[in-house]
Amino acid sequence: MATPDQSQTTITTALIACHGCDLLTDVSELQHGETADCPRCGHVLTRLRDDGFSRVLAFTVAGLILLVLANTFSFLSFAASGLESVITLPQTPGALWKYGMPEVAVLVAGFIIVLPAVILVLLVILCLPLERGIYRPWLIPVARSVFIFQNWAMVEVFIIGVIVSLVKIAAMATVVLGISFWAYAGFSICFTLAIYNLDRYQCWERIEQLGAA
Amino acid sequence: MSAGETAISVQLASCHVCCKLAPLTEHNCPRCGSAMHARKNDSIQRTLALLITACILYIPANVYPIMITDQLGVADPATILGGVILLIKLGSIPVALVIFAFSVMVPISKFLAMYYLVWTVKHRSNMTPRQLTAMYQVTEFVGKWSMVDVFVVAILVALVHLGGLLVIRPGIAALSFAGVVIVTMIAAESFDTRLIWDEMEENKNDS
Repeated sequence: MATPDQSQTTITTALIACHGCDLLTDVSELQHGETADCPRCGHVLTRLRDDGFSRVLAFTVAGLILLVLANTFSFLSFAASGLESVITLPQTPGALWKYGMPEVAVLVAGFIIVLPAVILVLLVILCLPLERGIYRPWLIPVARSVFIFQNWAMVEVFIIGVIVSLVKIAAMATVVLGISFWAYAGFSICFTLAIYNLDRYQCWERIEQLGAA
Repeated sequence: MSAGETAISVQLASCHVCCKLAPLTEHNCPRCGSAMHARKNDSIQRTLALLITACILYIPANVYPIMITDQLGVADPATILGGVILLIKLGSIPVALVIFAFSVMVPISKFLAMYYLVWTVKHRSNMTPRQLTAMYQVTEFVGKWSMVDVFVVAILVALVHLGGLLVIRPGIAALSFAGVVIVTMIAAESFDTRLIWDEMEENKNDS
């Protein structure tokens, strides 16, 4: 243990301070499959799942494959008066750049493709050692990055954006959803489930255990 | 030291990145190395400053066009509200409602909710701390959904370009609106709901 005072450390590791209201709750009795809520403000403190890391890994790998597919094929196509326009996913932010809005283009690309991809890659190199029970020196910086970046991925928001766009222009022309759209929809589900299954408290407890051993 | 007390009352701070509890005297988390604070730094000032920034950005976002449709060489600029009205006229009520909810109602109710939360830290509120915390969590959750309108512009601009026949270009409001969403997200992240509970503890001790 990093702290010299051993007695204090053993007591505090079973306690969580609620991020919503600062109340201390003892979670040492938590069983597999159970969720601990803060008794005072209702905030979810932690969920304990023995297979948590393998769940995250499964959704992460599936998500990465679907993201590659989503960037490969046609995303949407639009046809009117005998003319047709087909776009791929990376062309969506690309067009904004072309029309003189590089800032918005970078933000959109970051929120829907780059950041989610980075998070998934980081999750693989984080959860693979955690699942196998091996300590690696990069676990701490990688876990920090994941927990800081995860609020800024807007994968599910983009799906709603696509649906709204389709309805908006459906009256003007024929719009066809490409293979990449379905791949991206699948990716958004996998991404959301990967993040949902990653428990902040359990992840850090595991890193600390492995580091101490 | 036991469950049922607040961390700060037993001289502990909780790391916001890894949940580690450490003595208040620590500057960096002993587990993950992040900066440690018992409460977020200058939470009220930062939240207020960012909220005011977002309110200012919200003006150009509504005044200027968010996208411009060029049909047979005739430019037709549309603002956020203009787009909603157009959709209602075309009969797409559900989509009009989605855009109205995410681009108008969510940002405005987020401004109001955040101002109210900042205000309650220093004043008494009729709402319980638990209700206020729930209000904050909803506000934090819906924040990024306002980006829908920016994504719609991005998709339409990329997709709709049929020679000289029909072209959609992005308007400057897309940039200001993206700014509003990002700044309000940072404002929500800077606010510390624990301040509301601290206030309650203090009142309990006074009476």
